[in-house]
Amino acid sequence: MSGMPWDRGWDPFRELQREVGRLIGSIDPFPVGRRVAVYPPMNFYDAGDRYLLTAQLPGMTSDQIELTISGETLTLRGERKRAEGIGDECYRRQERPMGRWSRTVTLPDRVDNDQVSASFAGGILTIALPKAEAARPRHIAVTNGAGIEPNGGRGA
Amino acid sequence: MENPTIQVTVATRRPVPGASEAAPVPGERTAPTITPPIDIHEGPDGLILEADLPGATEQNLRVELEENVLSLHARMEPPLPEGARLLHEEYRLGDYQRSFILGDEVDRDRITAELTHGVLRLTLPRADRGRTRRIEIRS
Repeated sequence: MSGMPWDRGWDPFRELQREVGRLIGSIDPFPVGRRVAVYPPMNFYDAGDRYLLTAQLPGMTSDQIELTISGETLTLRGERKRAEGIGDECYRRQERPMGRWSRTVTLPDRVDNDQVSASFAGGILTIALPKAEAARPRHIAVTNGAGIEPNGGRGA
Repeated sequence: MENPTIQVTVATRRPVPGASEAAPVPGERTAPTITPPIDIHEGPDGLILEADLPGATEQNLRVELEENVLSLHARMEPPLPEGARLLHEEYRLGDYQRSFILGDEVDRDRITAELTHGVLRLTLPRADRGRTRRIEIRS
């Protein structure tokens, strides 16, 4: 029975896709053909005792990224600026997204908000969202005991 | 040649979204190939090419010049703990690959590369050939 109610139950991005995640005041439109509608693009993983949220933010530094958690809402924002002093006429090609960006993710109540941590390396932001105690996989010892008679009809 | 313009021709063979990935080389893994976005601008001494390569490191990034083709390739390993299960994907993990054709005006011996915060910056200096050179005539 792998059908955890929550394999499909919680999806923070459903909300994002509605309207929250977008590139605000982008200097450049996204290059045609790149289907990225939101910036920064994020992946989301289940790593056992925690979730991992990763975002591609090349060219940013950690102090340029603002990460806040308020209640169940995690907000990421920043601005990616083009190098100063280079006129538009100097550019032969501009494919990289630039400008102010912001994304908001709704955290599930299964996350221990106080323990959220983030690291940034090589243009990738990784946010670790530890699962709340109740949501962690638990090992339940099976002991021999005064058994309950197996119910007919329920195999094994 | 007065103020020659350096040419970098950008290969336009981009992978078509949704199409099958580049043909796998036998014996190699079949990670998807990602075409990184780039900017090119002209500076006082030549061209500056910047490519977004989030996750790339100096160890896994190769910049090569063969004949007049400058190519960059980064072989990426997922920086994730073993057993992490993907629940939602907005970007793909794959190997970065892109090639450029350099014009003759680039001084190929002085190309430099620098990787900072997932951005590769290639400096392509203008060749000095355009400058007037005085040649002594011996008598």
